[in-house]
Amino acid sequence: MSTIKKIKNLKELSTSNDRFEGAHLLCPGCAHSIIVRELMNCTDDNLVISSNTGCLEVSTAVYPYTSWDTSWIHIGFENAATSITGAEAMHKARKRKGTLKDNDAPVKFVAFGGDGSTFDIGFQYLSGAIERGHDFTYICLDNEVYANTGGQRSSATPIGSSTTTSPSGRISYGEKMMKKDIVAIMAAHGAPYVAQMSPNKWKDMLKKMQTALSTEGPVYLNAISACTTEWKFDPKDTIAVSDLATDSLVFPLYEIINGRELNITYRPKNVVPVKDYLGAQGRFKHLFRPEFKHILDEWQKNVDAQWDYLQKREEARV
Amino acid sequence: MAEKMDIQKTEVWDGNFAAAHALRQAQVDVVAAYPITPSTPIVEGYAQFLADGYVDGEFVMVESEHAAMSGCVGAAASGGRVATATSSQGFALMAEVLYQASGMRLPIILTVVNRALASPLNVRGDHSDMYLGRDSGWIQMDAFNAQEAYDLTLMAFKIGEDKAVRLPVMVHQDGFITSHTAQNINPMTDDDAYAFIGKYEPVNEMLDFSKPVTYGAQTEEDWHFEHKAKQHKAIIDSRPVIDKVFEDFEKKTGRKYSRVESYMMEDADVAIVALGTSVETARLVAKDLRENGGIKAGVVAPRVFRPFPFDNIRDIFANVKAIACLDRSSPGGALGALYNEVVGAMYTSDNKPLVTNYIYGLGGRDLTLDAIKKIYTELQENANSGKHSGKIQQFVGVRGPQLEFFD
Amino acid sequence: MKQSENPKFLGSEELLGWDEVNQGILLNSFVGEVENAAFLKQEERAYAETNSYTASVADWRVIKPVFNRDYCIDCQFCWVFCPDTAIIARDKKMLGIDYDHCKGCQICVEVCPTNPKSLLMFGEYASIEDSLEEWPEKKSEEE
Repeated sequence: MSTIKKIKNLKELSTSNDRFEGAHLLCPGCAHSIIVRELMNCTDDNLVISSNTGCLEVSTAVYPYTSWDTSWIHIGFENAATSITGAEAMHKARKRKGTLKDNDAPVKFVAFGGDGSTFDIGFQYLSGAIERGHDFTYICLDNEVYANTGGQRSSATPIGSSTTTSPSGRISYGEKMMKKDIVAIMAAHGAPYVAQMSPNKWKDMLKKMQTALSTEGPVYLNAISACTTEWKFDPKDTIAVSDLATDSLVFPLYEIINGRELNITYRPKNVVPVKDYLGAQGRFKHLFRPEFKHILDEWQKNVDAQWDYLQKREEARV
Repeated sequence: MAEKMDIQKTEVWDGNFAAAHALRQAQVDVVAAYPITPSTPIVEGYAQFLADGYVDGEFVMVESEHAAMSGCVGAAASGGRVATATSSQGFALMAEVLYQASGMRLPIILTVVNRALASPLNVRGDHSDMYLGRDSGWIQMDAFNAQEAYDLTLMAFKIGEDKAVRLPVMVHQDGFITSHTAQNINPMTDDDAYAFIGKYEPVNEMLDFSKPVTYGAQTEEDWHFEHKAKQHKAIIDSRPVIDKVFEDFEKKTGRKYSRVESYMMEDADVAIVALGTSVETARLVAKDLRENGGIKAGVVAPRVFRPFPFDNIRDIFANVKAIACLDRSSPGGALGALYNEVVGAMYTSDNKPLVTNYIYGLGGRDLTLDAIKKIYTELQENANSGKHSGKIQQFVGVRGPQLEFFD
Repeated sequence: MKQSENPKFLGSEELLGWDEVNQGILLNSFVGEVENAAFLKQEERAYAETNSYTASVADWRVIKPVFNRDYCIDCQFCWVFCPDTAIIARDKKMLGIDYDHCKGCQICVEVCPTNPKSLLMFGEYASIEDSLEEWPEKKSEEE
């Protein structure tokens, strides 16, 4: 029988037996593993996990080591959503035919992808998997850049960010486009549950992960993953920068149920100016030059507009 | 529980429907597929079987061929029987995943209905897709007619799933010419077909939660070579397993298959090497030339061309004087694949026959009896004079001035 | 505190031949059968040699966190925010650092809420005893 653990507080959560092992190759301070650890600790169910090529995959399964204590598969850059749906379909078929080793063992299917593989090269695969209604959860580890290959821009890279393929320079302020609203796109697929979460708000993230695993059907979770290497801040500040992200409302935390019911799940007591969030990261430091002040203004305007929009939807219960 | 079908002793099926029946009888657990001409009827046929209760597995209609093979890999790693079908552009699109599937040693069955590769866009039969996948690490077999498409698809499961092999297997058939031509087929009954293949035995499955496994690890330069070497050895070592499966199949059905099919080669002076439906056409011409033309002609087809039957080819051609390798794929600036691989085998033979290369049938252009007769005549000329009467590579059946290359 | 006598640093593994590697680059997490690892503490598991748990990244560090039991309130912030599964928490109590897996990122120190902190960074070669002796006093409001 599947049981999503009832967790009242962090002390209770800490009695979980980690199934994501150390001595992996992720950078010191990487938020990816904070998120993955919490996913694997939020339930005691068996897990089958897939990963797209990216930081997570490349750091946790380099022969001859694996950091995964549950079954895990990586095929390529774009197809974690499809490999996990293949596994989910096989589980359904074998369960129906009675050929599983333990026919009643509860199992959850989870796919991880970076923003590169989710927003760009794996977009089709994710869209197809969600449209087909498979029972799985897709978690995007969004660090707004192709981090694994040295920091090239993705369609999740926000405006003004300096990346290696959209660098800031004497005349350029870096990335020109605002990022796709991936959560809205996935909600529009009719997924029963989509949400945005951040590892600094561990309790909010835990609730969303547990909701995801207990929802029947496809679920999309967008997790902000502050990247010390590509966002350019000291590894010790991962949680502090994530705090700035959620408190400045650059990354609002909310959920959408059945595409039509939006709930904001975190309202900061004191909203921090977007400048403070941007100023904490090296990838935005050029925006503080006088000639790029208009980008900073645009940033605050965009964040305010998005927050306004989310609040209106929540109020109107749509 | 899937319902069984009442199969007649002789059915009238085209290559596509025959393949669809073979997939049904194998009781595949997951088919992840995407339609593409001319293989579409395979998945349509399978979908109808599912809708009518003759299939118990899951059928996932994904959003592209790359996704189809990706879904198959995920399903195969989860410990069940997996198959799909494609052609041409779809095959090219899933090329990346073909390598990943074989590297992970997952026995997936892929029925390829051979079709030309764009550009120009063409839906008709030629072997460009087959040739694209040569190095993908799959066992590959070729059917020359609808009966063989059915037989080889059944055998593919037994070969790929063998614990000593554990490799994915492709079964090729000519697009439209085989896939859409209805022929008399003698299928096995549902019970016999399933009994022949046997139950699927999972190995290293992700759904055995007591033994979690990691699939698809990365290797750096200190480990990669060992894994690829091991994989190559496994493909080469699959030959005795293939031979045994062919033997068992002959016992059950009376139909004999060999990794190299040779026709009238015992005393042949000249021979054609080909794949696909052209093999049967060549056999008609060879028989006619022997009876009426005074040419001791033979036909050779490397039915299992991966693993390539290097030594068998060399043995069969021990006494032949001239060979024509017919390649149904645009060679893109080189000699054709069959030419290169046959010549490679003959280089180590004491016999050094004259070998020529004919590019034919691209985009579904017919290879006529007359064209083959001309090839045999040219072969006989070469054999008589002991040297090439023309250039080594010729295009046959294309309009315009004679196109030939290399002295 | 966990620290191996003979740490297995990454890259120190024996290089096997093609005949010895697992087919299909398969990696096992454990030796033999394990009923759901979620119900076993790490020290109870039969880890395979191919599980990264058996390896050490201690050589990544130049500074290391030291844990001071005297001030800890077992809030578990360090446990939940550690990217390297290097904080050992058992039965709702913080036990210490897994020095085989700690990379010295310092997140645990940053999130520790006590005053003075229960986790502070010291040099990689500083002794635990000396570090505990040097522990700073409680910070006043003005600081």
